[in-house]
Amino acid sequence: MATTNTVNTKEGFAEIKTAKLSTLGFFMALPPVLVIILFVGVPIFIAFIFSIGYTGGPNRVISIIGQDIYTKNSWWGTADAYLAVFRDPRFMPDFILTMVVTFVSTFVVLLMAMGMGLYQRIQGGKVASILSMLSLVPLFVPVVIAAYAVAQFYNGVGFMRTFMSQFGVEFPIITATQNAIIIGTIWTSLPFAILMITSGLQSVPNALIETAQDAGAGFLRIVRTILVPLAFVPIVIAGTFTAIGIMGSFTVPVFLGPNQPAMLGVEISNFFTAYNRPQQSIVMAFIIFTAASGIAVLYIWANIRSAKQSGRI
Amino acid sequence: MAKRDNGLNLQSSSPITRFFIGAFVLFMGVFILGPLIWLALQAFSTTWTFPNLTPDGWTLIWWRRVFETPSILEAIRNSFIIAPIVILLSALICLPAAYAAARYNYIGRRVFLIGMFAANSFPKLGLFASIATLFYTLNLMGTMVGVIIIQLLGTIIYMTWIPAAAFAAVPKNLEEAARDAGASKFRVFRGITLRMAAPGIFVAMVMSFISAFDEAQGTYLVGAPSLYTMPTEMYALVLNYPVQIAAVFSILMAAPSVFLIGLVRKQIISGQLAEGFQIK
Repeated sequence: MATTNTVNTKEGFAEIKTAKLSTLGFFMALPPVLVIILFVGVPIFIAFIFSIGYTGGPNRVISIIGQDIYTKNSWWGTADAYLAVFRDPRFMPDFILTMVVTFVSTFVVLLMAMGMGLYQRIQGGKVASILSMLSLVPLFVPVVIAAYAVAQFYNGVGFMRTFMSQFGVEFPIITATQNAIIIGTIWTSLPFAILMITSGLQSVPNALIETAQDAGAGFLRIVRTILVPLAFVPIVIAGTFTAIGIMGSFTVPVFLGPNQPAMLGVEISNFFTAYNRPQQSIVMAFIIFTAASGIAVLYIWANIRSAKQSGRI
Repeated sequence: MAKRDNGLNLQSSSPITRFFIGAFVLFMGVFILGPLIWLALQAFSTTWTFPNLTPDGWTLIWWRRVFETPSILEAIRNSFIIAPIVILLSALICLPAAYAAARYNYIGRRVFLIGMFAANSFPKLGLFASIATLFYTLNLMGTMVGVIIIQLLGTIIYMTWIPAAAFAAVPKNLEEAARDAGASKFRVFRGITLRMAAPGIFVAMVMSFISAFDEAQGTYLVGAPSLYTMPTEMYALVLNYPVQIAAVFSILMAAPSVFLIGLVRKQIISGQLAEGFQIK
């Protein structure tokens, strides 16, 4: 059933791409694009010129409300807001924490997802399906609850310390440390990565693997030369999406992280509302955008590849 | 999962391998389920003294407390007003586009579809801060309209791509046959196209509802301090209330997601899993 559906879908899309141009189709497709232009494209443009000192027009209101606003002093604007952020002694530790958490968590998530995906693909059976059911549980749980539950589990009176103290072992308090953020982000990011990677690995035909096996290829060789290359696009989507999500996250670090340094997502929110320094907040947003841009390009590229493979574009 | 016996059984596992796999399953069980169970137990406990493995006593009093707290009731109400509006709006905006993507060729088709991913490739909090800057000018800060727009953005890709695949999977010759038999265009659309695509549309609606209902970061930035939904109320609860109240509230908040994902679990895990997720 699922297979016939995919074939139908592919044919359906393939037929469309050669059909003659339709005006009605254009206008039907327009609304979501307009929403994205209006509420993603335009705000990002306006926020960018705000960050380099254009405080008039659409930025007039926020420039009146906010404190420490730098206004442009040359024909192109000013870099003063950026300099102010870089000079803030809190920024560098925040930035480093954000990058470390992003890389470590993404790496572990990919490793776990690959491990479980491969185990299910190669071995299958009951244990494999128990594992994948377990790892999909976070899908059912809102992020706020997940972060709170993890915080309660590893705090001073949490389960880990309670349980270990039964054996006289002093388990460390993890909540409010960098490691807690990493645990929390792994917890919340796992299902997406597993869904993507498992489906990618499942789509590799059995015959291909069996042939390689008959030709004498070992397990690692099959993984390296067949499974990973053929499931490359979903693996890239899983990795890039996870990394982008962690870089811009707020809830998990706010519940689980230390007060200082904080991840940039938390600082963006703090500077925007609590400290009332919206311009610095926006500057940090663009620093994150820049840091994420390479990953974002990879994410879009992989999605286009996969959309092409399924015939959608 | 869907195809349970898809594994190849390449190797017969040794006892040592089996031991490690067993240990890993146990680790995953504690890692994933542990925090949830630990939190859920708090919702029924009177107090909990540190090194004890069980609470000092069991009670249901916190459940009554939750429903006696006005700010919590307000947040529950807001959530159940806003999320359905977001879904309806999203369906209205995206479903015609999904149909167009599956049935028509038009200028800019590729650019339109690729543009959807671009919207997703910005780290969330940076995007929300940018939007909030504009919302000050548009007078949308702290308003329901502002929160609806924020939550709508997260649903667009689900509501376009999943139904588009569903519409494209409806065989054209079926529609043509119905037309030949004399059915009107509208009747064919309603009786065949829409009916066959309905499961896909339903999955899209469930995923969109969960995305909107669980959205916390942008809702907090734009809505607080005047408008709280359930997830953003949780930020306040954690600071100002006993853990038992937050635990009860967590169970209440997770219930709709668990129920809805339970309904479409099969589609998510089997056929439409990639469809539904690659596009998130």
